[in-house]
Amino acid sequence: MAFQNRNKFCYFKENGIHDIDYKDVKLLRRFVNDQGKIMPRRITGTSAKMHRKLVRAIKRARSIALMPYVERGTE
Amino acid sequence: MRYYETIYIVNPNLENDVLDKTMAEIAKELERTKSKLINHRVWGKKRLAYPIEKQKYGSFILMQFEGGDQSKMVDFDTWMKLNNSVLRHMIVGLDNKPDVYVEESKKEPEADKDKTPGETESEAKDGKIENNDLSTKDAIESEPEDEEKDNTASETVEKEAE
Repeated sequence: MAFQNRNKFCYFKENGIHDIDYKDVKLLRRFVNDQGKIMPRRITGTSAKMHRKLVRAIKRARSIALMPYVERGTE
Repeated sequence: MRYYETIYIVNPNLENDVLDKTMAEIAKELERTKSKLINHRVWGKKRLAYPIEKQKYGSFILMQFEGGDQSKMVDFDTWMKLNNSVLRHMIVGLDNKPDVYVEESKKEPEADKDKTPGETESEAKDGKIENNDLSTKDAIESEPEDEEKDNTASETVEKEAE
């Protein structure tokens, strides 16, 4: 997993991202697991403020079929 | 005045003139809300994360505009819902005024020059610049990304079929 064994930091603060665009699927994909579920803040280390924006962006992307609501994970 | 963005998906198998006609129709409908159209462009054909009306692919079209009559926006929303050529649509409010979109082919030779002064500019404009970068990135990287998606998505489809 991408987020294991690493010091936690907010990806968005580190990279100076203030607004998350729901069209940027490549970025959003980093914050969902292989089932398409949104990863919790305690794992990703995202700040509370940016996590709220992230969640909104992911949900928007889902409703316009850019991201899946559910996806069968690899087991 | 607020700025809005509407993204909608149409059948990817439409011919170019039919697509243009649909887009013109939608722009005409938007005019009734007295909105000012800023951008109206085809974002590209993409694989849908889940099938909509039995379609696996869709042409995404992006429309950005300055809001007009609020009460008529509801009518526009309903009209889009009832429009059979639109598979799915979403109207979203924007925080900043959207930049007028310049076509990639014209933009690319200038892109390198634009970037260096862009980075030194004030923070207020950062958001817009990022958006520009993203759009160019999307265009460049869309192909490999699509392939990846194809693999994963086709796997899921197969599993579901089982």
